[in-house]
Amino acid sequence: MGVNEKFTPIRKGLLGFLLLKIISADKVYVADILRQLKGTEFATQEGTLYPLLSKMRREKLLDYEWKESDAGPPRKYYELTARGREQLRETSDYWQRISGTVKSLGQPPAS
Amino acid sequence: MNKVITINLNGNAYQLEEGGFEALRAYLDGAARRLDGNPDRDEIIADIEQAIADKCRGMLGTYKTVLSAKEVGLIIEEMGPVEDASAGADADPAAGATAPGGTRPETAGTESKAVPPVRRLYKIPHGAMSPGVCNGLAAYFNIDVSLVRFLFLLFTVFWGIGCVAYVLLIFLLPTAKTPEEKAAAQGPPPTAQEFIRRAKEGYYEGMKAFADKQAHREWRRKFHREMRGWRRAFHHEMRANTRHWQQGFVPHWAPGFQPGIGAWFALPFVSILRAGLALLWIVALVSLLATGAVFGVLLPAGIPVWAGVLCLFAFYLVLAWPLKAMRRAYYWNAAGGPFFAPPFIYAFDAFIGIGFVVVLLWLAGHHLPQIHEAFRNIPPLVHEAVNAVKDWWAAR
Repeated sequence: MGVNEKFTPIRKGLLGFLLLKIISADKVYVADILRQLKGTEFATQEGTLYPLLSKMRREKLLDYEWKESDAGPPRKYYELTARGREQLRETSDYWQRISGTVKSLGQPPAS
Repeated sequence: MNKVITINLNGNAYQLEEGGFEALRAYLDGAARRLDGNPDRDEIIADIEQAIADKCRGMLGTYKTVLSAKEVGLIIEEMGPVEDASAGADADPAAGATAPGGTRPETAGTESKAVPPVRRLYKIPHGAMSPGVCNGLAAYFNIDVSLVRFLFLLFTVFWGIGCVAYVLLIFLLPTAKTPEEKAAAQGPPPTAQEFIRRAKEGYYEGMKAFADKQAHREWRRKFHREMRGWRRAFHHEMRANTRHWQQGFVPHWAPGFQPGIGAWFALPFVSILRAGLALLWIVALVSLLATGAVFGVLLPAGIPVWAGVLCLFAFYLVLAWPLKAMRRAYYWNAAGGPFFAPPFIYAFDAFIGIGFVVVLLWLAGHHLPQIHEAFRNIPPLVHEAVNAVKDWWAAR
């Protein structure tokens, strides 16, 4: 099996983190999120995204507001709550530590 | 020319071809079921309907007002399967931040199993009497083992099919050995991806043996020759018997009629026909119980459902009777009389019948979204039905 499948659970776990990152940058609606993820290793579909977003909203990590759009019905724009930003900070720190570990292990000891 | 159905997606009307409508309904029903128990279920469904509506609008224009079944299929594919993010063992997006030390064993140790452990049929030897077939089935349908054993016994004593099916299952089912396999034996029911994954893995490797062109052609030639011989014998027989049929309507098979190998080929066809008929009957029964209509034909008002079931059963008996008689006739000829047919003929017959049904069901589950959804619901439905009977028995 390829690397791609091996990392399926990891990608799945990281998706929430990435959503926090994406939403923290700007108010976005779902099509925006999909567009940003498209072409990356984390490309995903509405069927996965909506349940995840609603779960994160239930955990009070994010909230949404309705906004009129010129091309169709009003859209849900998501934004982070204070708690979501806190969570993002913690997760980013932790991610830094992980990727630091991944990089440093197995290297010849720096002298 | 196709029938068009107008639907309401989150407050907007769209026109779909009938096939597309069915597929979309199966998709949304499946989504709703998978989100069952999720407090935001209705909201998520509304979001998904809205997203589908947006995609529909993107495909329509001034001169295109109807979505074809194929386009609906594309939209569904683009949407992807709906997964309940808050269901049990799913990856928690914040797990890394809150529980740094808590590596879950299933993510750490399962290199070969990136797919979630969906429920599969296994033999479970632990706590079983023999190879664990009944145990595995009981786990799959989430019902009592004793009941499964009793059913096998019943089918063995009365029709002999139970025995054949049991032996087949002993060989076909893998044994649940590792913890993952044991978990999979009791896990959530399989999805379409699971079937496709199994097919890709060469789960059906055995079928490749048939690709041997030479053997295949040889087999076909022999088969045609046998069929011709059998047809001639049959016509001859029919002519000879017309007189008997006309007098007194008594089936009298000439003692000189030797079916030979031809009957071995004709018998499976009769069996297949009968199996198909039985399958059709079950589908009709299920659709009657579930929707109150049989193949779209509503029961006349005032007739209760149980009467409809009885009528269906009678209808099935009438249709199946000639086939049954034909099969019996073959057994008689093969054995020289009633009740003396060697058991292996029954076994052969049952094998063909069961095989046909399995192949048909597999194809249907693979290609028709509605049937696939129905399969997903079988284990919980069986569980519910058994529980209902148990409750009734206890309350009596």
